Amino acid sequence: MPRLIDRDGPAEDRWTTLGADDALPASGAVIVPLDRLEEAVDAVFDSAADSGLELGVHVPNNADPLRLRAGFDRLALISVEFPAFADGRGFSLGHRLRALGFKGRLRASGHVIADQFAYLLACGFDELALRDDVAERQPVEHFLKALKRISAGYQRGIPGRRSILDARRAARQGTNAAPR
Amino acid sequence: MYRYDEFDHRFVRERVAEFRDQVSRRLTGALTEDEFRPLRLMNGLYLQLHAYMLRVAIPYGTLEARQMRMLAEIAERWDRGYGHFTTRQNIQFNWPKLRDVPEILEALASVEMHAIQTSGNCIRNVTADPLAGVGPDEIEDPRITAEVVRQWSSLHPEFVFLGRKFKIAVTATEEDRAALAVHDIALQIVRSEAGETGYRVLVGGGLGRTPMLARELRAFLPKRDLLPYLEAALRVYNLHGRRDNKFKARIKILVHELGIEEYRRQVEEEFARIEHGHIAVPADELARIGAYFAPPALPERTGTPVEFERMKKLDPAFAAWAAQNTHPHRVPGHVAATISLKPVGGVPGDATAEQMRVMADLAEAHSADELRVTKEQNVILPHVALADLYKVYRGLVAIGLDAPNRGLVTDIVACPGLDYCALATARSIPVAQAISNRFADPARQREIGPLAIKISGCINACGHHHIAHIGILGLDKAGVESYQITLGGESTAPAALGERTGPGFSYDEVPDVVEKIVETYLKLRETPRESFLQTYRRVGMEPFKEVLYAEAH
Amino acid sequence: MAKQFKPVVLTANDLIEGDSVFLGPRGWVREVAGARVAMTEAEAEGLTARGREAEAGNLVVGCYLVEVSLEGGAPEPLLRRERIRASGVPTITYGPAEVRERAAA
Repeated sequence: MPRLIDRDGPAEDRWTTLGADDALPASGAVIVPLDRLEEAVDAVFDSAADSGLELGVHVPNNADPLRLRAGFDRLALISVEFPAFADGRGFSLGHRLRALGFKGRLRASGHVIADQFAYLLACGFDELALRDDVAERQPVEHFLKALKRISAGYQRGIPGRRSILDARRAARQGTNAAPR
Repeated sequence: MYRYDEFDHRFVRERVAEFRDQVSRRLTGALTEDEFRPLRLMNGLYLQLHAYMLRVAIPYGTLEARQMRMLAEIAERWDRGYGHFTTRQNIQFNWPKLRDVPEILEALASVEMHAIQTSGNCIRNVTADPLAGVGPDEIEDPRITAEVVRQWSSLHPEFVFLGRKFKIAVTATEEDRAALAVHDIALQIVRSEAGETGYRVLVGGGLGRTPMLARELRAFLPKRDLLPYLEAALRVYNLHGRRDNKFKARIKILVHELGIEEYRRQVEEEFARIEHGHIAVPADELARIGAYFAPPALPERTGTPVEFERMKKLDPAFAAWAAQNTHPHRVPGHVAATISLKPVGGVPGDATAEQMRVMADLAEAHSADELRVTKEQNVILPHVALADLYKVYRGLVAIGLDAPNRGLVTDIVACPGLDYCALATARSIPVAQAISNRFADPARQREIGPLAIKISGCINACGHHHIAHIGILGLDKAGVESYQITLGGESTAPAALGERTGPGFSYDEVPDVVEKIVETYLKLRETPRESFLQTYRRVGMEPFKEVLYAEAH
Repeated sequence: MAKQFKPVVLTANDLIEGDSVFLGPRGWVREVAGARVAMTEAEAEGLTARGREAEAGNLVVGCYLVEVSLEGGAPEPLLRRERIRASGVPTITYGPAEVRERAAA
């Protein structure tokens, strides 16, 4: 069962998640836990030679986005933990990270169900790394189907998503509604 | 009232299809019960003691006749012939089967109704003054704001999995008829000194295990800032509200633990950061919604309503009902009439399909096709001409809903309690019935005057007992029902939470206890016009405590 | 002093119907009188295990054990809440029947 998905379907996961004691490789794409971020940034960006390493960080869903901001231009990916699908803090954290200017890849990791996929994308996430047991029960098709279920939402200001309020106004003005 | 456009229609239809799919994924096991539960709750479907329960949304308590008729049809086709109107202006059906729910939702969608977000850890039904558009004292119809908030809060992708339920209420008058003080966020429409219309924003009210009154978050918020401000307030709550303990997860706890100054600072900081123009309701959309709430064309009827006066003389029961159950209307010659769903000895807030149909007919013929549901579990016909009031009254007599008891001792609010609810610790409905029967005599009820009794069958306080003049909370003490009494609660400003009298009483003792309290009040009041609440505020708890625990162990 | 084991039955709600059901000797029944009674801790664990299977099979939700008395012959729940639930209906008359009953009184 593929474990990484984005809005187009299953995705190749080129990232390696490092544990507390794993050594930093010389090249590749690695996700470090938050408490190793400083160490990783030093290793990658302060050496004289060009590093071949792409850096990502995995953060709990109560992480302080302001403390991460300093590292935005060093981070190619931020992975936010979703410990339980009913714990919706990650949605606001994702929104905050984007609002603060994070331009890299935003990943949700953990327990997310198909019905939440659209919310993740609306909150600025690019991809979802599913926990094994969840992935076993919920094939990718469920997630992609769920995306199509609600064609438009009422809320404005969500990039990549058509707002009913704006579509209404466009319809009134006789112009084509802004595409998704 | 608001009418769905193609976008609203498509939204609810898609939601029904989504729920159908969720049900089938539940049945195959693709979704566990733990995963399915919040999804079904977000479509208003609870699992109770005897059956599923479907809570249908009645946005800001407003219904039109055809919608009430559909509720009657649902009651008959898929339930046991009745429904229950709730303390948040919704309606509950107690016996649907899971496999029938998608069809019920489709039937609701056909009349622009749904059950979206009536349960679950999300933003719930936005409630409002049930006299919206009626009261001469209102600045503007609060339902326009309520509708804006309803749309904004519907499947808001960031706020669908909050720490706990989130309740919002809106009013536009000085008199608070929507219990703003006990809502998570409340909006009172006000005018600034410069004459600009905006909102006084309150935050952190709530009932349940730790009742708290809301604090003022913003004295004046310009109208155009409403949605960005709500986003900021919700975002701070979603990020920082407690998630470790279900009983500490409401925003009232966050405000209490941070302090209102710190919570406000965080909200204002987030609000400043948000791109308002991207989020706010465009002016033309606001105007579009506002147009739906234009007052109905009611002919001004000045001069003496001759027929009305004549029938009051001929039918004293009608006179009593008109005196007690009507509210002044801004259009001369009209009133808002309360249909009491509290017949003496009846189940508070329940209505049969037949009763719903008659109410719908009366609304269509005599109330500009509109009805309102109140948090006291009654129904209001908001636009009745005095000239038509007797016809309305006779229609209510025919279906047994003519009790002239609005706001009186038999106008009891009761949650479903242990007869229905899986969370309950004690029965509430039969307690309400016993009290009601005890005070059946209409003359005695009038003598007692305004007295709000509210009964909750557990600590979750869905019966709103904390804001009752006499609150009754049913608990379980070692397998035996024990009822705690609180006095002096009130929902309108100045709001107050009831104070406990002391040790609880048994199921059989409760009607006697209420009688003792009432008798004490009648003895202590300075004049017949001094209400129970006024007397309580003057004399305090002591005299009542003495009487209740006089034969203390 | 070891706590005396009280006889128990297993209850749940039928996933589709929503009704309260009880685990009987040959499957789930609506009447508590037909429930299989566990007289020992071990038997109770056996009931619980079968309940978990039924949950995993998406037949029922929310299994739990209910203490019962056997004095009347058939199992009868001890707690008021469980007796009300086992009855399948509220303690009060409701709906159109309640309106009729009050009108007749």
